[in-house]
Amino acid sequence: MAKTENGVRIFQGLLILGNVVIGMCGIALTAECIYFVSDPHGLYPLLEATENDDIYAAAWIGIFVGFALLALSILGIVGVIKSNRTLLLVYIILMLITFAFEMASCITAATHRDFLTPNLFLKQMLEKYQKPEAGNNNDKWMSEGVTKTWDKLMLQNQCCGVNGPSDWQEYTSAFRTTYSDADFPWPHNCCVLDSQGHPINLDGCKLGVHGFFKSNGCYAAISGPMNRQAWGVAWFGFAILCWTFFVLLGTMFYWSRIEY
Amino acid sequence: SFWDWSLQGSGMCGCCVVLKPQLGDAQLATNNPTLTTVSLEKPFCMFDSSLYPNRSYTIYLYVMKESASAMSSLVTDDSNKPLGSTFQQTSRGQLRPYNAAFFDVPDCAVPPRLADVRSFVHASYVLKQYLFRVGDDGTCLYDPNFLGVCNPPLAPDTTYRFKYVLVDNSEGMVKDQTLWSDPIKTRRAKLPMKIDTCVLVFLLLTGFLASVFFAVMRSEDASAETKGTSPTVQQSESRPQLSSE
Repeated sequence: MAKTENGVRIFQGLLILGNVVIGMCGIALTAECIYFVSDPHGLYPLLEATENDDIYAAAWIGIFVGFALLALSILGIVGVIKSNRTLLLVYIILMLITFAFEMASCITAATHRDFLTPNLFLKQMLEKYQKPEAGNNNDKWMSEGVTKTWDKLMLQNQCCGVNGPSDWQEYTSAFRTTYSDADFPWPHNCCVLDSQGHPINLDGCKLGVHGFFKSNGCYAAISGPMNRQAWGVAWFGFAILCWTFFVLLGTMFYWSRIEY
Repeated sequence: SFWDWSLQGSGMCGCCVVLKPQLGDAQLATNNPTLTTVSLEKPFCMFDSSLYPNRSYTIYLYVMKESASAMSSLVTDDSNKPLGSTFQQTSRGQLRPYNAAFFDVPDCAVPPRLADVRSFVHASYVLKQYLFRVGDDGTCLYDPNFLGVCNPPLAPDTTYRFKYVLVDNSEGMVKDQTLWSDPIKTRRAKLPMKIDTCVLVFLLLTGFLASVFFAVMRSEDASAETKGTSPTVQQSESRPQLSSE
């Protein structure tokens, strides 16, 4: 009988260890999702203007799931130590609900990563950057957000357009309706600027002379952070779910063995 | 090309004479032509054989849409004086060539050094010396009564041809002219609506797998409860107790 008692002890130990790991992962998930939601790269207005900011919704869900996992892991540890059937039942039910939410968040983040293509941001940039005032307030708000974000992107990352400055020449745009091609073949933020924010040589920039305009596209600067966010939320979430799945299985098995 | 005439100016090459306006060097000016502008090399050393010392000359630039007929491509009148047709008069170059600009004869002996473009201080000077930008100035379009020489933006997706004409200032007569340039087409802009944003939607098997796992778990629970001989765990406050048998 001592052997089975040891076996039970070991099983309890494993469950407690599993719950400790879940608790720590919950804290990590919360921290990671808070970082993403804080939008350190300032790219949220671009997502908002696509009217599909689900990777941010996924990150928000991740914050609350992380807290829930921490709380439930503590409940689980207490339940296993006391071998209390009621506590463990509550734990299992709440954990299943949390599991479902986290699953939704991961799937959302993973599928929406494929939504973020260069053409999506190109179309948005051409239709909304420097759009003259028109339409309803929501439209105006989105255009302003896109304009500010693009100006900041071009200044900070020394880039122009999504694929390059040629985007402004290849396609018509809201920008083109206000600014003539002769004076602005592309926005002046695409020119190499001096410390006061003026182009160092406007003629050289307009003609496309190397050294006076930014020839790189900004897509890498947009997609890099967004992909990291989507993958971070999705795959870390999936990893936690895999672990949680086995701990849940073990807890269910343990619960079924408790005698009243 | 630029290098052809600079060699010719130094007397090293007698065969590479270019007698028509050329686009600016593509390695230097990468954004050329644009939607509404075309930057041409100025006519360095093209009219050297016609220049006499102690006389002043002016270069006239004529622009014509390629669709204008060959009959109407004259730039001089019967007395060999340059036609003063303007942008508005010629229906934007549709009917006949129009005079877009005139400027001094570029100095063949001292061509601009393109390497100086890298210097921020000299870049503007070098570019202005080397290139002329057709379509640069749209301000004359805003004044409906303006009848002077106008260099407004060209039409997108349209083929144009250009010609330089050498005019003697005192006589006002055309002394020499280049051939019409090769057809040069301005860029075309596509509509953003045509950009395809395909969204890849794929079914995740994980949801399906999760439901399978849950079904397996439920059947495991059911089978565990039917086993009566395996050790069970008693609910207790301290150490777990096995069922005594």
